[in-house]
Amino acid sequence: MTLRILKRLVILLLIVTSCTDVVDVEVPEAPPRLVVEASIDWEKGTRGNAQSIRLSTSAPFFSNLEDTSVTGASVRVTNTATNEIFVFSDEGNGLYSTITFDPVLNQTYRLDIDYQGETYSAEETMTSVVAIDALSQSRESGFDNEALGVDIAFNDPPNEENFYFFRFEEEGDLFPELLAIPDEFTDGNRLDVFFEKEEDEDEGIEEFVAGDIVNIKFYGISEQYFNYVDLLIEQFEGGGNPFGTVPASLKGNCINLTNPENYAFGYFRLTEVVCTSYVFE
Amino acid sequence: MTYFKFICLSLSLCLATVSMAQNKFTISGKITDVANGETVFGASVFLKGTRIGAVTNEYGFYSLTATEGDYEILVSYIGYATAVQAVTLSGNLNLNFELEEASTALDEVVVVAEESEQVNIKSPQMSVSKLKSETIKKIPVVLGEVDIIKSIQLLPGVTNTGEGSAGFNVRGGAADQNLVLLDESIIYNSSHLFGFFSVFNADAIKDVKLYKGGIPARFGGRVSSVLDVRQKDGNSKNFELNGGIGVISSRLSAEGPVLKDKGSFLIAGRGSYAHLFLNAANVENSAFFYDLNLKTNYTINAKNKLYLSGYFGRDEFNFGANFLSGYGNTSGNLRWNHIYNDKLFSNLSLIFSNYDYQLDFKAFDFDWISEIRNYNIKYDLSYFKSDKLKLNFGLNAIYYNFNPGEINPTSETSSINPLLLDQKRAFENGLYLSAEYKITDQLTTTFGLRHSYFSRLGGQPLVDYQDGRPIVYNETLGIYEEGTPIGITNFDTSDRIEDFSNFEPRLAMAYQLNENTSVKAGYSRTAQYIHLLSNTVSVTPLDVWAPSGRFIKPQLSDQYAIGYFRNFKDKWYALEVEAYYKTVANRIDYVDGSDLIGQNTIETEILNGELRAYGLEFLFKKSKGDFTGWLAYTISKAEQRTPGGIAGGPGINNGDWYYAAHDRTHDISLTGSYTLNTKWSFGANLIYQTGRPVTFPDGQYSYEGINVANFSDRNASRLTAYHRIDISATYVPNRRPDKKWKGEWVFGIYNLYNRRNAASISFGQNRETGANEATRTAIFGIVPSVSYNFKF
Repeated sequence: MTLRILKRLVILLLIVTSCTDVVDVEVPEAPPRLVVEASIDWEKGTRGNAQSIRLSTSAPFFSNLEDTSVTGASVRVTNTATNEIFVFSDEGNGLYSTITFDPVLNQTYRLDIDYQGETYSAEETMTSVVAIDALSQSRESGFDNEALGVDIAFNDPPNEENFYFFRFEEEGDLFPELLAIPDEFTDGNRLDVFFEKEEDEDEGIEEFVAGDIVNIKFYGISEQYFNYVDLLIEQFEGGGNPFGTVPASLKGNCINLTNPENYAFGYFRLTEVVCTSYVFE
Repeated sequence: MTYFKFICLSLSLCLATVSMAQNKFTISGKITDVANGETVFGASVFLKGTRIGAVTNEYGFYSLTATEGDYEILVSYIGYATAVQAVTLSGNLNLNFELEEASTALDEVVVVAEESEQVNIKSPQMSVSKLKSETIKKIPVVLGEVDIIKSIQLLPGVTNTGEGSAGFNVRGGAADQNLVLLDESIIYNSSHLFGFFSVFNADAIKDVKLYKGGIPARFGGRVSSVLDVRQKDGNSKNFELNGGIGVISSRLSAEGPVLKDKGSFLIAGRGSYAHLFLNAANVENSAFFYDLNLKTNYTINAKNKLYLSGYFGRDEFNFGANFLSGYGNTSGNLRWNHIYNDKLFSNLSLIFSNYDYQLDFKAFDFDWISEIRNYNIKYDLSYFKSDKLKLNFGLNAIYYNFNPGEINPTSETSSINPLLLDQKRAFENGLYLSAEYKITDQLTTTFGLRHSYFSRLGGQPLVDYQDGRPIVYNETLGIYEEGTPIGITNFDTSDRIEDFSNFEPRLAMAYQLNENTSVKAGYSRTAQYIHLLSNTVSVTPLDVWAPSGRFIKPQLSDQYAIGYFRNFKDKWYALEVEAYYKTVANRIDYVDGSDLIGQNTIETEILNGELRAYGLEFLFKKSKGDFTGWLAYTISKAEQRTPGGIAGGPGINNGDWYYAAHDRTHDISLTGSYTLNTKWSFGANLIYQTGRPVTFPDGQYSYEGINVANFSDRNASRLTAYHRIDISATYVPNRRPDKKWKGEWVFGIYNLYNRRNAASISFGQNRETGANEATRTAIFGIVPSVSYNFKF
């Protein structure tokens, strides 16, 4: 677990204690950009043939995101070793899908998107993940010794740099909790990651109780994606607080070959993922 | 060796001038407070009917020289009755004065200190603000806790990044560019409880001097300011107990004479009550601080005096049972004052200071410590050559140890590996000479030169990068990335990794237009060799210090200032107007998303930039009478720019100038205190500031199930204006004059009209609706407080 994440938690705790309220603020408005959510996630133990990519556009901060789907783009992914091309077909709702994808670990792929006369491109390598070794619940772990949480244990492979990404989503929640960690301080060890919720009436957060279901996704990610998503999470959780890092424009790996200034938001990632869920007892 | 020559030169300069003093004699001595024997710093000693005068130094010493004859000596200090004594000067004289505090009671004649303010007009020293502990204690404060750092923010040119944030910013400079000294020891973190309070216990403090510019040559190592805080020596006449009980903390101090009136001591302690701030969450959180000030002195004889002072402060935070954190400063200073003769005063100091930050993550079975430590030797001399020339010279050597971080697992089953970041060592020294010379009766100049030298010492490995570039711009992705390591060079402890040296000229002049008016101008160059690594908006106690070296260059600042100073109405009022322009080269900045904690190769996260600031400051002050106070107004701009340099690319924020987080276009503070009668006195503050520059989102998109905000150019937006009014009332109950116990009640209301000043605005997604929202964090609403202070 990085110190940075911990620092963030500490800081959030501090901020929580002062008084907060929701206010109207005027924010600047940038012209929309293409948003590429190209997450080629290969669930461990499956064939990984069915994949989809979501395209949308960015919008002003206080606007509704529902009608930002992008249709009419041409999307394909190429295996850079074999030059095999996988065409993702337009579903008409912002999703582009294929059922013939052939995932290969440690293989580099290229994403090409033609949209409104401009070509976007990105390259990434498919990264593997280890299995989850144990899944359990406890109250002792985490910051709050009273709150129920789920513990995920796995064994980090020694002598290599690994980066992990977690997505926790309690059924019924509007959006997930995300966490990215490197093995920088924990190389080769058995790692425990916990997920708990601290009750907060203002935020509408309730502690876990028996019967709650959490869906857990555990990804192996590249260093480059780690750098991207770690910053994304940090800004999502603490954008604007005085102890957080100065927020910045997030740049992913989708470059615009036609007009470099008009780069796309989002990221083209290829990961191996372990999907599981946990029912609290 | 150049230093040796330099000091030889300065000494011979002094010696050469001694023989010229024919028919002239010197009066020297010490000025103390009659009530407690405290030496008085900044008192004016003046020969009536002449233009010959002197000002006491930090140790109360003065020296002035005049031709033989009969004189009347006036000794004055603001707030004290002027002492007058007739002397016949026919030989060198040693005269000590004891000043008596002027009473401000209504039915008594208010004593007007005749010459006390005149010195300000004559001295070339500008951009300096001095606050006495008594003045600071009158300013209304949050939760009744007297706070030096908050008080200086009421002065023109001083801001910070907001309520509850640590440190302060002077004339557009960064928080790490202030040299904070407590009895000459460097204090690395001036705040308690993440910035809610300062580390200085007002009961232990004599006075505070803030140099915003025109930094005298004897100070070095920081480019923006010097905050020189001096502890009380301790009452050398009577034993005295002081204390206070407040809503947030209590304090107790004891002082008195020791060793048959040859010395005195002061011991002061302060502690806050736990569980105050952090009871909002369900978790058992606590936060508290305590500190201890110590000072003692011993007079060996009329020419030799020893001082020993120390400070120990600690903050502790517990978040539930699983996370503990603590930080604090420790410092000590042993000083030897030696008076060589009636014209040559010296002080030798041996100083130690340490700052550490510790974390204990019980949840993950590991702890973390980072530390900075320094050992410092200073030797300062003042030579009062004649009424026209005064020389200050000396040297200073500092040895630093930096521990940027150490991680240790605390159990067998911990998943964390032990890690010790590269320990860094450095040596810094400075040699200076400054001469204050009265060219004509109207024109006085100070010329100072400091030579500073910094050596980053070996004893650690350094990574070598391809093309010497630790950070490289990735043209394709448009982001900065770590350079390619090509090897590692190991430096022995006997090696020097990199050396730097700089000449730092300091020039100041004052031209007196008439008895009450002067104009002053100054230029100063300052160098800073150590840097606080912080990529957050506010400084946090976790931030670590890093020395200059192969990748981080010393910060160099040039400041130009010009000012107009005027006293009105028998010096009841004073007006100070100053304009400044300041540049700082080699100001490091952090690339987007940089990770500084636990980072061994900081060079891969930073770019070298620059900072510039300019402004106009007004200060209108009333320092006598029942009503005293000041109005300060500053209009200013502080910006930063960080181009890509050898890393390539456009740099941070596209290489464009952007506002520093502490930039305030307008900053107004009105502070006043009013003594109604012997029982009641009142204080009030009014503060208005332009909102802090912040980075707001300029768009959003959906990614991984969340609404991701995209942030615009750095610090391109602003929070709403900050303003508030505070009031306080002090009540001294009736007491019999013979009773030793003196008590007073202080009632205060901070933020009287309960304005919810935004400390920050954060952007996120509502968990119940999923809609984006902006959340304002306001630290202090209306905060009433009461405290009881006593003296015995």
